[in-house]
Amino acid sequence: MKKLKILMISGITALFFGCNPLEVKELTDPNNPSEASVSNNASRRQIQFLVTGLEQRHKGYVTNICQAWNTFGREIWYLNASDPRFQTDWLGQAGRVPDAAYFGFGATGGGSYATPYQAIKQGLVLIDAANNSGALTAQEKRAVAGFSKTIMAYQYLIPANWLYENGIRTDIKDPLKPGPVRSYTASLGFIDSLLSAGYEDLNNAGSVFPFTLTAGFNGFNNIDGLKRLNKAITARVAIYRKDWQGALNALGLSFMNLTGSLTAGPAHTFGAPPDGFNPMFYVLDANINTIVVVHPSVLADATPGDARVASKFHQRAVPVTVTTDATPLVGTHQDKRWSTNMAPMPFIKNEELILIKAEAHAQLNQTADAVSAINIIRTAATIGNYGGATTQAALINEILYQRRYSLWAEPWGHRWIDARRYDRLNTIPTSFDQGTIFRQFPRPQAEINWDLYAGG
Amino acid sequence: MKKLYLVKLLFVLLFFMKGIQADAQGFTASGTVKESVTGNPLTGVSITIKGTKQVTTSDASGNFSIKVNSKSAVLILKYVGFKTVEVSLSADKPAASFNMEEEVSSLKEVVITGLASSIKRSNLANAVTSVSAKDLTGTTQIQTADGALYGKVSGANIRMNSGAPGGGINIQLRGLSSLTQASSPLIVLDGVYINNSFQRTGRASVTGAGAANQDDGSNRLADINPADIENIEVLKGPSAAAIYGTRANAGVLVITTKKGAAGKTTISFGQDIGIGSPLKMMGVDNWSEAKINSFFPVARRPLELSRFQSAVAANNFVNYEDYFYGNTASLMNSRLSIRGGDEKTKFFVSGSLTDEGGIVRRTGFERQSIRANIEHKLSKDIVLTVNSNYIRTNTDRGFTGNQNNSGASIGYNIAYVPNYFDLRPVNGVYPANPYFAENPVAVTDNAVNNSLVNRFIQSFGLDINLFKNEKSQLKFKMNGGLDYVQNSSQIYLPDDLQFQRGQANPGDVLVGRQESMNTNFQAAFAYDWQVKRVNMSTQVGLVRLDFKNNGLFNRGRGLAPGQTNIKQATVQEVESEFTSTQSDVGIFVQQQMNFEDKIIGTVGMRWDKSNTNGNANQFYAFPKASLAINLTNFDFWKINAISQFKPRIAYGQTAGPVPFGATFTSLGGVNIGGLLGSTVATSVGNLNILPERASEIEFGLDAGLFNNRIMFEATYYVKTTKNNLQPLTLSPATGVVSTTSNEAEMRNKGIELGLSGTIIQKSNFRWFSRLLWWKNDVLITKLGIPSYTTGAFGAGLGTFLIQQGVAPTTIVGTPATSPGVFTVWGNAQPDWTTSWSNNITFLKNFDLSILTEYRSGGDNINLTSFLTDGGGTTKGWFDDDNKDGIPNGRQRAPAPFNNAGRWVQDATFLKIREVGLYYTLPKETLSKTFGNIIQRARIGVSGNNVFLATKYVGYDPETSTFGAQALANNVDVAPYPSSRRLFFHLQIDF
Repeated sequence: MKKLKILMISGITALFFGCNPLEVKELTDPNNPSEASVSNNASRRQIQFLVTGLEQRHKGYVTNICQAWNTFGREIWYLNASDPRFQTDWLGQAGRVPDAAYFGFGATGGGSYATPYQAIKQGLVLIDAANNSGALTAQEKRAVAGFSKTIMAYQYLIPANWLYENGIRTDIKDPLKPGPVRSYTASLGFIDSLLSAGYEDLNNAGSVFPFTLTAGFNGFNNIDGLKRLNKAITARVAIYRKDWQGALNALGLSFMNLTGSLTAGPAHTFGAPPDGFNPMFYVLDANINTIVVVHPSVLADATPGDARVASKFHQRAVPVTVTTDATPLVGTHQDKRWSTNMAPMPFIKNEELILIKAEAHAQLNQTADAVSAINIIRTAATIGNYGGATTQAALINEILYQRRYSLWAEPWGHRWIDARRYDRLNTIPTSFDQGTIFRQFPRPQAEINWDLYAGG
Repeated sequence: MKKLYLVKLLFVLLFFMKGIQADAQGFTASGTVKESVTGNPLTGVSITIKGTKQVTTSDASGNFSIKVNSKSAVLILKYVGFKTVEVSLSADKPAASFNMEEEVSSLKEVVITGLASSIKRSNLANAVTSVSAKDLTGTTQIQTADGALYGKVSGANIRMNSGAPGGGINIQLRGLSSLTQASSPLIVLDGVYINNSFQRTGRASVTGAGAANQDDGSNRLADINPADIENIEVLKGPSAAAIYGTRANAGVLVITTKKGAAGKTTISFGQDIGIGSPLKMMGVDNWSEAKINSFFPVARRPLELSRFQSAVAANNFVNYEDYFYGNTASLMNSRLSIRGGDEKTKFFVSGSLTDEGGIVRRTGFERQSIRANIEHKLSKDIVLTVNSNYIRTNTDRGFTGNQNNSGASIGYNIAYVPNYFDLRPVNGVYPANPYFAENPVAVTDNAVNNSLVNRFIQSFGLDINLFKNEKSQLKFKMNGGLDYVQNSSQIYLPDDLQFQRGQANPGDVLVGRQESMNTNFQAAFAYDWQVKRVNMSTQVGLVRLDFKNNGLFNRGRGLAPGQTNIKQATVQEVESEFTSTQSDVGIFVQQQMNFEDKIIGTVGMRWDKSNTNGNANQFYAFPKASLAINLTNFDFWKINAISQFKPRIAYGQTAGPVPFGATFTSLGGVNIGGLLGSTVATSVGNLNILPERASEIEFGLDAGLFNNRIMFEATYYVKTTKNNLQPLTLSPATGVVSTTSNEAEMRNKGIELGLSGTIIQKSNFRWFSRLLWWKNDVLITKLGIPSYTTGAFGAGLGTFLIQQGVAPTTIVGTPATSPGVFTVWGNAQPDWTTSWSNNITFLKNFDLSILTEYRSGGDNINLTSFLTDGGGTTKGWFDDDNKDGIPNGRQRAPAPFNNAGRWVQDATFLKIREVGLYYTLPKETLSKTFGNIIQRARIGVSGNNVFLATKYVGYDPETSTFGAQALANNVDVAPYPSSRRLFFHLQIDF
């Protein structure tokens, strides 16, 4: 009896001391590496992963901008029968206007705000990791910095254009002490200088980009190519800053090619999982009711015979109708730019650079140069040379019109931004949806809250 | 082993010798035990002779006999749920017949209060609800144990997420303990910390609804066969649950399964046959040419008019609600249990088969469960308990609820389909749905949403009496166990569905494999001793819990026709893989003091640490203290009518665990263009994160009148929580979105009242009634971070306001009253709840039970109506109340129209939860027909959720498209409608 008891108790005691039941193992993330693992002396492979991570973050904004900003500028309707708010809220039906936590953007601003800043953060972490790595030469570090700053500058433009006169933060290095909100003008100045700094880095980076980029950067995956990309983005920023000569200067160092393919340019890469599919791809004539359709005004305003209309728009066999508690919408044409759901999506292209050239010349009253740039575009669209008035106002009208078709529904919302640049938001038609044209968005609720938290 | 054998031999010899002695100078006492009201014999009553260890049990006819070694003896008759009887017998009067009365007050039942101790209910200082097997499953058949708790636990807010078969229920005890965690109680089954998670099925991913909380999955308590449960104790808050420490913030359900009993082996067989039908329909709207001309855009009208006209000509209108939800579900349950044992070994073995269909075609719930509970005395002082349970649960929950783009939700889809268009297949061909992206008939007929769980729960216990003398006793208790759950899920949308045909890669299958393993271990010393007239009970011990989870989901798109193997897919994808582990350790001490059952006090402390906390090695302390005073046990108490009067007070603290991963700052894995990338995570780990902590003080009064025939219980509690976890949203411009913070504090105040009693007790009629009433008010007392809105579908459709000084259940939405400040439209929290339960026994052999629940107040966000308004199918859509030419469906009050407030609706309801009528066949009838083979036979009819009265427009005021969570668990998006369930029962004991 006793012995059995003693045996059991000693067995249990042995068990206790054999494996201390009061000890718990410190947890490390079993699913992911830690951010700390790259902050000091990262290997080349780790830097490569961060470079690829930046490319991934760089395309994070695409879905939201394509769907929302192109809706704001009435280039498209994003018909979505499953959630009426893509219609009612994004079109500003029944007098709706954006608030600080608007549908599709939430309290953080989503794809138009939080996402581009995540790309910027990724760039900062990448630059630090490269600088703190013993595996990279000084030249390689400059290459990484130049690439990162170029992409970061592009990303800064997204929140800047979304909030416009409400301004953005540009200093975001310390997550607990973000810098002040700066005006749109100041922000554009900051972006321009970031591009210059990136260009300076690339100037000291030799000729070979030391890491692998995806096929989207084919033609741009060396130092020279990245410099030309940097200057292309600089040109885009310049026209937003109304720095017309600066635009022309930048174009000269960019990949603009007056005789080359208009579609040439770097692209976001898409693919089958584990990559992501091109979010703008829809099967032609698919019997579904969530789809991007061409805005009726784009069809109505088109020039007969415009090759861009023929190549970008597909008339559906059966129109898509979506009913909500507001005006019902009917889409007759869908986007046919994408041959497959893995087609890459250019994020800045030669055609835009030539249009920037035209605009800068027109603004500088270099009429002949402006018209000849316009004619490159018109010729490609098979609508013949420009025959209209050559006053500055007429040329700007023509250029803005050409931009609507050349840059239709690109991942940028060009028409919305262009109409605002020229104070022509009231020319965007709302008669088809009884909606409202938004000028800009208020600062996201999370930003307001952070100021309250940090300030109080 | 040889030693053990010798011990056994010794026992046998001892008994033998005692037997010889008895023959020499004693007598044989015998008798028959009957139930006092019905006169039916009671089987398995334990009869002991006072002052000895001799014991026997009554047989199937209620007869017993026992040898007595002296000339007279006092016999003690005990039977669970009945009042104990003591009778003297002697050699002169060796036989008697006994009537045992059912114990209504249950004051003598033992309540588990500590990890290694229990206490008589009459001495308890907390409002602990005990739900017995009879209460739980005695009236009707309910699929899951949590579903069987409705109306039986004051202070519990139980919500069913949808009517889909196989569970999906959340219990919140005494309001909210957390803003971010589900606030569902810890469940300990026979000492095992079991998994009650809502595991992912992936339905929400494939249908586009969103994250896993929109899967409408089951919670894994659904695996436990409710008929195996002997008792559920509900520790509602920290004051009662403090000794459980971390994980007890939302209370604890302590579930005990049935045990063996010494005596004749009893075999019980039960069979239920039932049907399920929809409890409530919303109704659909009819169409007219005028409505078509109003609803559709001009270009579409001619087509719609011609469709309408041909439907009129053929008189072919389809009520899709009836078509999809109006089916009769077949409900079958079989149960077999064998219970028996002897002095040394007792066993309870059970098997059950559940096969219940749903009111939607191709949905249903199957459960097979086998259990063996064995208790064995290794020696006089050592008892070993081993409970084993294997379960296989197979659930098909169909396609309802939220979706995006895919059209794979019946309710969402048919909200847009006018009744003049026929979606039903013609010669096997499903017509394309011109009103939505999918034909829901094809989805119902061919798609799969299946979850197959294999589960094994094993518990063990070892009790050793180390030392015993007259005044003290030292026991060592060790127990623990494991819970292994393997869940294989499959979501399949075939390639020939309308939406799939419109995709680049038609056909979609998501195959999930999830495994979880919970192990826990506990060891404690319990020392009972006396200081003068005070009984002291001391316990110290330690607890360890280890949880491991992993899941792997693979997805295939572009499937070969009819194929579900991922290798038959064009695009093959590792959709997700996730692993988590967690270890908690606790140490506890508790001291209980009992002064002659007059004053009972307890103090205790638990220290816990967990490796999900910021500091894995920091112990956090959780104290408790309680006091109960039984005034009626004092000599000065002279009021005889009041048989119990016990004021009580209790205080305790507990914690809510930090979720796995709150401390990590990680790099995510991404792929682009064939390359692997690392991305900086959008959440920053908080290395200082603390567990949530709740403190509760509870005051109460328990009173009994007329020999405890009427019992009254009143409790008032204040539960405050601090260090509540919530995401601190950073400036999104910093590229990181949030970090977990500890700053919020909340307070729940509530009242729980209970009144029960036997109203009529006559030889032929007994009526027992119990009335419960409770309410809870929750408030955020400190937020620590700026006010924000969260949950549901944003301000336009109703969301929740998280702000200091308001209840987190506050529903707000458009229009904004000033920038960022929205109109308050309602509150999700019920004002109060009451339940009324009645058990009537009449004409000796009939039992009638009815349980009603009324929940007053509490608002839902009814987006099902939002969808039907968008599709023109809401009943009365084309009416025009204000005669302004705009139909109601396009102009919902309150003005200015079509704000978030339009769908915030009062969810007050009255439900008859359970009703049952049973007839126990008289013993004589049985004996005549079957001899002695059948000991007891009972037949009955019952119903579950038989009646619903509510003004709420949706299918059921209880609904949650986001599953079980602290907030936004009241959002109605085209759910699976609830069913009314009716049964015929047969129960035979051999």
